[in-house]
Amino acid sequence: MLKIIRTFTILLSLSFLAVVVLGEIRERKEPAHELFQDATCSDCHICFTPSKKDPCLRSCPRLSKKVIAHSPEEGPEVVILNQLEDLFEPVIFAHKLHAQMTQMGEGCAVCHHYAPAGHIPPCRECHGGPLNPVDLRQPGLKGAYHRQCLNCHREWSHSTACAVCHAKKTPGELAIRQVDTTDIVGIYHPHIAVPDKRVYQVNYKKGPVVTFHHKDHVELFDLRCVDCHREQSCSRCHEIGEKPERAAKTPEEHHKPCISCHTMKTCSICHTQSETEGFTHARTGWPLNRFHQELKCRSCHLMGRKITKLDRDCIACHSSWNTETFNHSVTGLALDEIHQGMDCIDCHLDRRFDQKPSCANCHDDGRVYPKSSPGTFTEEKW
Amino acid sequence: MSINRRAFLKAIGAIGSTSLIGRHSKAIAQEHFPGYPDRFGVLHDIPLCTGCRKCEWACKDQNKLPNKPIETYDDKSVFEKKRRTDAESYTVVNRYPNPKDKEKPIYVKFQCNHCDEPACASACLVKALKKTPEGAVTYNKDVCIGCRYCMTACPFYVPAYEYHNALTPEVRKCTLCYERITKEGEIPACVKICPTQALTFGKRSELIKVAREKIRSKPGEYIDHIYGKHEVGGTCWLYISGVPFEQLGFPTDVGTKPYPELTKGFLTMVPAGVVILPALLGGFYMFTKHREQMTKDEATTSEKKETQP
Repeated sequence: MLKIIRTFTILLSLSFLAVVVLGEIRERKEPAHELFQDATCSDCHICFTPSKKDPCLRSCPRLSKKVIAHSPEEGPEVVILNQLEDLFEPVIFAHKLHAQMTQMGEGCAVCHHYAPAGHIPPCRECHGGPLNPVDLRQPGLKGAYHRQCLNCHREWSHSTACAVCHAKKTPGELAIRQVDTTDIVGIYHPHIAVPDKRVYQVNYKKGPVVTFHHKDHVELFDLRCVDCHREQSCSRCHEIGEKPERAAKTPEEHHKPCISCHTMKTCSICHTQSETEGFTHARTGWPLNRFHQELKCRSCHLMGRKITKLDRDCIACHSSWNTETFNHSVTGLALDEIHQGMDCIDCHLDRRFDQKPSCANCHDDGRVYPKSSPGTFTEEKW
Repeated sequence: MSINRRAFLKAIGAIGSTSLIGRHSKAIAQEHFPGYPDRFGVLHDIPLCTGCRKCEWACKDQNKLPNKPIETYDDKSVFEKKRRTDAESYTVVNRYPNPKDKEKPIYVKFQCNHCDEPACASACLVKALKKTPEGAVTYNKDVCIGCRYCMTACPFYVPAYEYHNALTPEVRKCTLCYERITKEGEIPACVKICPTQALTFGKRSELIKVAREKIRSKPGEYIDHIYGKHEVGGTCWLYISGVPFEQLGFPTDVGTKPYPELTKGFLTMVPAGVVILPALLGGFYMFTKHREQMTKDEATTSEKKETQP
């Protein structure tokens, strides 16, 4: 009996000790841990009991890419890299601009190979000093920066000249000058000229011509470049040498960007016998007036929805319009005082605003518009 | 005497040659040198090299070689032909086409590989070239006699000679920045300047681990070969690459035996030829001479006996 009690006491004290020790370990968390609160231990450590002496860190979290999509706007506009300032002035890195460019590729993960939800660690948090003499597997900050930048930059420019990013320090001048960032803030990717249309001759007997109205898709249909151009490399455009030969596309790859909107059921939408004209709204039976002509499709046919026939009633879109708020003179006809106070449907029967108004509701003397006008024409009728 | 002259010579020859062969093979087994345990090295991760040639600049700057401003190293036209190390450039970067991606050519830095058992040092008559425990193969200009055997011996054709210097020519090659790493505790100049850290300096044993891990974790990016781990018996510079090394100008026919070992068998025979063989032949000569003398003496005594009955 005594023996059992003794063993029990020993076990109890041992487990108590274990709890204390484990608690202590948890207490002594490195400050780095706060940055990776969403990470599990095994995301970074290989062994079960990492210690300060042997943290048994994974060589590179790059391999187990953990990336949550973030928008370019979440990040800083500009990052000033001045940790390794030596021969050169600090590098002014247009973070937002680059983040936007990555939207055509893999997104943030192009550079941030470890970007969990919440705080995205900047390079310097993992890649410490210029060199990493402790862990030879991990590049230091210098290597990490240059590998990231040069990997893309040399791809298209074929240049590794320092001056692309670095401004050389002027000897004799004191280091760390205040960097003026105003001139680069808000610089986006320069405007890319959009081709008007592309005519493709294809190997399809029933419709050997495909006319792709590129400009219409961008300007009228309001598609973003990234909606079609995905997984592109910078060098596709930024190539100063000979253009790389592109691999032949399979029929599936050819159709891929189109079928996200167009169904594959009717080939004749794209495949025709001859070149087609661009889209005009008149084709739908409702030619647009001068105001509507300036709008983008998505202004009326709302974003994210399939484009369908809309109600032609003005207040279907212009819901705030009524007798008081609508300025009738924009139609080219300024109403006189009598007519101003009247309800729309008094003249526009059945709210058919696209048809001739009727006077018969009030006037039974047979007068017709526009011979007899309810005001003065300010300009030609639209 | 029951043994005749021919049988005796045969026996002697057999004993002599077997003992020599025995010694020779034993010598290799005993004297094989696994390399200094704590020697340093550099791992060149070839796919990371961008061909910026800053290492070339830093090397010349460090070694006080005639140099040009760093900006001039942006010039890519030098890659049009393959360059080799010479008396004024201890390291060169060469460009090779990339079979996987035309747009990203492969750049390879080349310099003395600092062999674990350097052929140059073994060929040197005066021990001007020496393998240090830190890994560097160093050169002592004060004892060099300018025979240039090291240049012929090197499997990579690295050592260069100052042919233009008529009075005090030296053999020139990479020093692994021996002074820097031993006295200043620094890392080699080329490694330090490399912007992408395509070069890693450290204990050779550690570097092999790093290289192994890189190869294991990115099998698509690297081929399973660490050049320099076994080549010519091991070198302090190690290379990992995405394409086979023969496509990058690396000699792949150098074998895995240290070069000195190839000549060791022959060279151990030299003392035998020079010392033992003359002694042996001298012995034979003395022996036969002695025998002739003996027979002569015997003849004269028997003649005397016959004349004095």
